[in-house]
Amino acid sequence: MKDRALKIGLLVSGTIVLLIMGGIVFTLMSGALPTIKEYGLSFIFSSEWNPNPDREQYGALPFIMGTLMTSFLALLLCIPLSFPIALFTGEYFKGTKAASFISTMVDLLAGIPSIVYGLWGFYTLRPLMVELGLSQQGFGVFTSALVLTIMIIPYATSLSSEFIRMVPNDIKEAAFAMGATRFEVIKKVIFPAAGSGIFASYILALGRALGETMAVTMLIGNVNAIPMGLFDSGNTMASVIANQFGEADGLKLSSLITIGLLLFLLTAIVNSLGRLIIKKLSA
Amino acid sequence: MKKIFIIIALTVALLSCGNSTQKNSTQKIGLTGAGATFPLPFYNLAFKTYNKSHGTLVTYGGIGSGGGIRSLKDKIVDFGASDAYLSDKKMGQMPFPIVHVPTCMGAVVVAYNIEGIGELHLTPEVLSDIFLGNITKWNDNKIADINTNIKLPELPITVVYRSDGSGTTYVFSDYLSKISNDWKEKVGCAKSLRWPTGIAAKGNPGVAGTIAQTKGAIGYIGSEYAFSLNIPVAVLQNKSGNYIKPSLESISAPASAAIPADTRVMLTNSPAKDAYPIACFTWIVLYKEQAYDGRKIEQAEATIKLLKWMLEDTAQNLTKKVHYAPLPVAAKENAKAILQTITFEGKALK
Amino acid sequence: MTNTRYRQIKDKAFFYTVCAITAITMIPLISIIWELIKKGIKHINFSFFTEVAPSTLDAMLAKTAGEGMPGGIANGIVGTLLIVSVASLIAIPIGVLAGVQLAEKANSKFSHAIRFTAELLNGVPSIVLGIIAYAWVVRPITGGYSALAGSLALAIMMLPLIIRSTEESIKMLPTSLKEASLALGASYATTTIKIILPSAMSGMFTGILLSISRVMGETAPLILTALGSSVISLDLSKPSSAVPLLIWEFYNDPYLIDMIWSSSLFLLGLILLFNITAKQISKKWKTQ
Repeated sequence: MKDRALKIGLLVSGTIVLLIMGGIVFTLMSGALPTIKEYGLSFIFSSEWNPNPDREQYGALPFIMGTLMTSFLALLLCIPLSFPIALFTGEYFKGTKAASFISTMVDLLAGIPSIVYGLWGFYTLRPLMVELGLSQQGFGVFTSALVLTIMIIPYATSLSSEFIRMVPNDIKEAAFAMGATRFEVIKKVIFPAAGSGIFASYILALGRALGETMAVTMLIGNVNAIPMGLFDSGNTMASVIANQFGEADGLKLSSLITIGLLLFLLTAIVNSLGRLIIKKLSA
Repeated sequence: MKKIFIIIALTVALLSCGNSTQKNSTQKIGLTGAGATFPLPFYNLAFKTYNKSHGTLVTYGGIGSGGGIRSLKDKIVDFGASDAYLSDKKMGQMPFPIVHVPTCMGAVVVAYNIEGIGELHLTPEVLSDIFLGNITKWNDNKIADINTNIKLPELPITVVYRSDGSGTTYVFSDYLSKISNDWKEKVGCAKSLRWPTGIAAKGNPGVAGTIAQTKGAIGYIGSEYAFSLNIPVAVLQNKSGNYIKPSLESISAPASAAIPADTRVMLTNSPAKDAYPIACFTWIVLYKEQAYDGRKIEQAEATIKLLKWMLEDTAQNLTKKVHYAPLPVAAKENAKAILQTITFEGKALK
Repeated sequence: MTNTRYRQIKDKAFFYTVCAITAITMIPLISIIWELIKKGIKHINFSFFTEVAPSTLDAMLAKTAGEGMPGGIANGIVGTLLIVSVASLIAIPIGVLAGVQLAEKANSKFSHAIRFTAELLNGVPSIVLGIIAYAWVVRPITGGYSALAGSLALAIMMLPLIIRSTEESIKMLPTSLKEASLALGASYATTTIKIILPSAMSGMFTGILLSISRVMGETAPLILTALGSSVISLDLSKPSSAVPLLIWEFYNDPYLIDMIWSSSLFLLGLILLFNITAKQISKKWKTQ
C-alpha cells in the first residue's frame, strides 16, 4: 500500500517538473510569437538593437555572445578555485573545525543577494580594474565574469565537497592499503566515485551564471554590441531582459521574451554538450 | 522531518486563512497601483501619509511606466502611473477608455563631474552636440564660448545614459528631439534608445554613481535625486534664451502656461521665460468607466477618494519636502475636472 | 629518485597547492562579508527588526537632525519568511521525490527528461520566472500582485538544486545499503523513507540549504509578482514586501541607500542560522 503511494508520488513529482517546463516553454513561445514572425531565425544572428519604438530593430547576437563569454569565463575561473576548496573541506580536513569554518563562509556567499554583489563589484572591483589599467571604466566582460565566479563558487564547492565527503571509506582505505598516496587516492578513487556529482555541481554553477541578472547588469557596461575583447563592455541576455522589461511593449516585449526563450535553448545546448564531453572522457 | 513539514504547512495555511477571513469581516479596502519609478519617493510618502490619516492601505510598485500600463491593461491594479502620456494609438489598445491625472512635477537635470569649476552653462545646441558625440572634449570652443568665466580642462567627455528603460530617458530625449533635428533623426524619443556615444548605468544611482566616479563625465538624472544629494547640475538655456537653474519654481513654471484639458502634453522646451527647459508631469492613469470586470463600487470610490486627496494641499505640500514640484493651480483644476468625469456604471462618482 | 619518492613529492605538492588556493580564494570571500558587516552593523538595532521601512522623508529628517536611521525592515522580514516558507513547502516535496525518481530509475526516458529539465530550469534568469509567475498566478489566480506568485517563482528556482542534489546523494550510497534493507523484508517505501533518505540526508540538506539561500536574496522575480508593501502582511493573495525588494527600493533612494548593507547582513545572518540549525537537525537525524 505504502509502496504504491510512494511510486505514485514519484511519478507525480516527475510529471509536475516536466509540466512546469512545458508550461514555461509554452508561455514563452506565445510571448515570442510576434518577434519570430517578424524576424525568423535572423533574430539570432542580427546585431541591430534599436529600442526606440519608432524605428525599432531587434537582434539577439550581442546578448548571446555576452552571456556565453561571461558565463564560460566565470566557470573557467571557478573550477580551479572551487575544486581545491572542495577537497580541503571534503577530504583533507574533513570533519575539522577549519573545514567547518570554511564551508560555512562559502555557504554564506550563496546567500548574499545578487544586487549586493553588483554593488560590491561596482564600488570595489570596478575601481580596481581601472587602477590596474585593465579597463578604462572598469566595466566589461572580465569584471562581470569575476563577480560571477565568486557568486558561483558556493554552488560548485558546497555540492562537490558533499559528494567528495560521501565517498565510502572502505574503497579509500582499500587504496591506501595498497600503498597509494593521498593524491593518488583522490585522483583514482574519489574523483571517479564522486565525479558525476562534481560534474553536476559545475553544470548547476554554470546554469546559475548563465541566468544571473542583477550583478551582471551593474558591471557589464550595457553596451548593445558584441564585445571584441575580454575588457570590452557588452550586454547579456538576462541583463537586457531585466533592464528593458519594465518599460517594454509590443514588439520589444516580444523580443525580450524571445531572448528568454533563446537562453533556455542555450542552456539546453550547453548542458547536452557537457554530458557528451563527460561521456567521451569517461569512455 | 515529515512532522516538521506538516506543522509548518498547517501554520502557514492557518495564518493566511486567518488573514483573509479577517478581511471579509471588516471589509478593509486596499488599493494597488504600479508604474513609474520617477515619482516613487513622493508616492511612497503620500500613500503612507494617506494610510495614517484615512486608514486605507495603498500599495505601489515602481516597476516602470510600461509595467504599470501593462498591469492596468491586465486589470490587476486600481491605477497605473506613467511619466509619458499614452499616445492615441496606445490608448486605443487599452480595453476601455482611460484618463490621465497629473499628480506632481519633476525635471531631468544634467549632472557632470569636472573638478574645480563652478556652474556649467549649456545651450541647447551644445547640449545636443555633446550627447550626439559631436563635441568630445571639455575645452572645446563651443563650450568655452558660453562659459567664459570658467577654465575648462582638456578632458575627454564621457556621456552617461540609462541602461534600463526609463521615463527620465523619455523626457530627456523628448527635449533633445525638440531642440535638435539631428537628434530627432538619428536617435529619436523613447524610453530606451540607441545612444550614439557614451556608457550606460542602471537607475539614477547608477548614473549618478558613474558620473561621480568618472572625471569628465556628463549625464542626465531625475531632479529629485540630484536635489537630494546636492549633485552639481548644469544651468540650461531655455527657449526664451534665459539661463535657468533647475529649482522647484523653475520646474513648475512651464505648467503655468496653457495646457490641454486632458493634460496630455510634454512640458519640455517651454516658452515661458522662467521655465526650466526639461520639466515634466507625471500621471496616474485609470479607466474612465470604473465598473469593469466585476469591480466593486467601494473599490472605485476608494480610488477616486485617494486621487482627490493627492490633488489637495496636504499631498501637494509633501512634494516639496521630497524635492518634487507641486502642480500649479491651472493644472490642478484640469486634474480635478478630469476626476469629475470618472464614472461608475455611467454615474459620476462622489 | 625512486618512484616512491616522486609520488610522495607529488602528493605533498598537491596538498600544499590545495591549501594555498583555498587560502587565496577565501580572501575576497571574507572581504565581501567583512565589508557587509562593517557597513551594515551600525543600522542594526531593536527597531530594525520590529518597525517597517522608513519613508524617504523620515530618513531625510533624521539625517538632517543628526539622528540614526529610523524604522527597520520588519515588513521585509515577514514577507521574506512567508514567501520563502511557502516556496520551500512547494519545492522540497516535489524536488526530493523527483530526485528519488531519478536515482531509482536512472536510465528511463522519464528520468532523462526530468534530469534535463532540472538543469534547464536552473539556467532560466530569475526575471523570466517572474514573468512566468505573473502569467500563471498574478493574472489568473490571485487577480493581482501577490505573495503566492512570488512563492511560485522562487519554488521553480529551488527545484533544480534540490532535485539534483537529492539524486546525486542517493546515487552515492552503496547499493549494499538498499539491498540489505530489502533483504531484511522491508518494503520499498520503508526502505526509501527510513533508510535511503536519512543516509543521503547530508547531501540533500546541502542542496535544500543552497536553494533556500539562493532564493532568499532574489529580487527580480519578486518585482513582478509580490510587488512590495509598506506594511507587515501575512496574506498570500496580496502584495507583500521582502528583504531583497526593500534592498532594491533602498538602493534607488538617496536617503535610504545606507540600509542596503544592514538588510544584506540580516539575510546573511538568517542563512547562517539556517545552516547551523540544519546541521544540528541532520546530526540528530543520523543518530536516531
